[in-house]
Amino acid sequence: MASEKKTKTSLPIFLQLPATIIIWSLVGYVLPYLIYLSFNKNIPGKGLVFVGIENYYKFLIDPRVYGDLFRTIYYSGLGTIIEVILGMVIALAITNAIKNERIRYMVFLLFLIPMSFSEAIVANMWLLLVTPVGYINSFLKVLNLPTISWLGSDMALTTIIISDVWQWTSLPLLLIYAARSSISKEFYDMADLDKLSSWQTFRVVTWPHIKWAVAVSILLRFIFMNIYIDKIFILTYGGPGFATETLGFYIFLQAFQYGAYGYAAALSIITLLIVGILTYIFWKFMR
Amino acid sequence: MNLVRIISIIIVIIWGIFSISPLYIVVISGFKELNDVFTVPPKLIPFIDFQPSLEAYYKVFYTEIGQTFITSLVIAIAATVITLPVVIFSAYGFSRFPRAAMNDPRSFFILLTLRMTPPFAVVLPILLYWSSLGLIDTYPALIWTYTVFSIPLGVWILKGFIDSIPGRLEDAARVDGYNFASTFIKFVLPLMASGLAATIALVWLFLWNEFLFALKIAGGNVVTYTVKLPQLRHAERIMWNVYGAMGTISIIPPMIIFLAFRRYITKLYLAR
Repeated sequence: MASEKKTKTSLPIFLQLPATIIIWSLVGYVLPYLIYLSFNKNIPGKGLVFVGIENYYKFLIDPRVYGDLFRTIYYSGLGTIIEVILGMVIALAITNAIKNERIRYMVFLLFLIPMSFSEAIVANMWLLLVTPVGYINSFLKVLNLPTISWLGSDMALTTIIISDVWQWTSLPLLLIYAARSSISKEFYDMADLDKLSSWQTFRVVTWPHIKWAVAVSILLRFIFMNIYIDKIFILTYGGPGFATETLGFYIFLQAFQYGAYGYAAALSIITLLIVGILTYIFWKFMR
Repeated sequence: MNLVRIISIIIVIIWGIFSISPLYIVVISGFKELNDVFTVPPKLIPFIDFQPSLEAYYKVFYTEIGQTFITSLVIAIAATVITLPVVIFSAYGFSRFPRAAMNDPRSFFILLTLRMTPPFAVVLPILLYWSSLGLIDTYPALIWTYTVFSIPLGVWILKGFIDSIPGRLEDAARVDGYNFASTFIKFVLPLMASGLAATIALVWLFLWNEFLFALKIAGGNVVTYTVKLPQLRHAERIMWNVYGAMGTISIIPPMIIFLAFRRYITKLYLAR
C-alpha cells in the first residue's frame, strides 16, 4: 500500500524527467552563457573582457538598430496582415465557390501545400523566379514590360514578403477554413430567410465564429515571421545595403560576421524577452 | 449565380494559379538542361518547349550533393527516434497530471517558450557550447541540438492528441487492477497511435527542413541538403537546374506527410 501511494505522487515527475534532463543539458548552459556573454566584449587577441552594461547601452544608441527595428515591424506586420486577410478571403471564397464537398476539400488541400515546405526551401524555390534572369523577368520581357530588379534595394523586402505570403497564407486559410466549416448550415438558412445581404450575413453569422481563428492566425504568423531569418539569409543576405536587414539578421551578422559576441548576446536577450512576451500572450489566448 | 459566387470563383482560380506555378516551375527546371533553364520566352512545356533531361539528377546523385540528402535523412531520423519516447512520457504527464509538480501549465509554458525561441538568438551560445566540448560540426552535436528543439514541438502536438482521449478508460483499467505500465501499453498507446504517427511525421519534417542550426552547428564535415542548396550559388556558373532537382526532391517528403495526415492538419498546427 505504501509503495503504491509513492508511485502515485512521484510518477508525474518521473514522466517529465527525461525531457527536462535533455533540454537542460543544453539550455542549462546556453541561457546562463548568453547572459554572461551579454556583459562581455570579444576583443581579438584578448578574448572576452567584462564591460558591464555597455552592450545594452550600445543597443539604445546604435542607429542601425532603429532601421532594423522599423524593417522588422514593417516586414512581419505587413506580412501578417496580408496573409491573414488573404487567408480569410480565400477560405470564405472556397466555401462560396465550390459546392461539391469532395472537390472543395481537394482544392483546400492543394492550397495548403506551400505551408508544408521549409522557409529555406521556399527561399531557394523563389530564387528561380526572382533572380535577375529568372522566370518572372523573362515573362515580363515576353509581354514587352520593363523587367524588375526583384532583389534590388527598392524591391527586395517586398519580394521576401511576397514569397512569405505565398508560403504562409495557407496557415490562416487552414485555421479560418476549419472554423468556417464548423458553422452549422442552419445559421445561413436563417440568414436567407431574414433576407440578410452577403455583408450582413458575414458580420452576423460568419465573423463571430471565425474571429478566434483570425486572432490565433495573427499571433502565430507575427511570432513566426520574426523567428526565422532563413528567407532573408538565402534570398538577399540582408542586402543590398541594409535593405532587407531585420533585427534577427543583424544579430546573426554581429555574431558571425563581425564577431561581436557580447553585442549579439545582448541583442539576443532583448529579442528573447520580446518573443517571451508574445508567447505568453499566445499561451493565454489558447487556454 | 450571384455576384459573390462569381468573385469567389475568380479568387479561387487566381490563388490556385499563384500557388501552383512556383511549384511547377521548380519541378520542370529540375528536368531541364542548364541552357534551357532561363530563356526568353521561358520554356514551360516539356517535350514541346524543351527536351526533358536527367542531367540535373545525375549531378545530384553522382556527386557529393546526393550525400547531403542522406545526411539530412540520418540526422532527422536519429533525432526523431531519441525524441519520441521522451515526448510520449512528457506529453502524457502534461495531459493527465496538470496539478502535479513539473506537469503544471506553468512548466508547459516554459516548454512552449523553447518552441518559440528564434534560432538566430541562441545559435551562437549553442555553437560555443559544442566547440567547448570539441564536438562542433559532428553528427552528435547536431542530433542533440535537434532533439532539444524538437521535444517542445512533439509534446505540444502530442498533448493535443492525448487530451482528446477520455481518461475514464485508464481509471477503469486501474480499478481492474492493471498497474500504470500495463494500462499505458494496453490502453493508452493503441488509442494514440494515429496521433503518435502524426507527431513523428511532423517532428521529422521540422528537422528535415531545418536550416540555421545545420549551417552553424555543422556545415563543414556534416552538411545537410538545406545548407548545401544555397552554396550552389557561389559556383562560377550557377547550376540552376540542380536547384530545381534538389527543390523537387526536398518537397516530396513534406507533400507525402501532408497528404497522409491530412485529417490531423489543424491539430498539428494548433494542438487542439
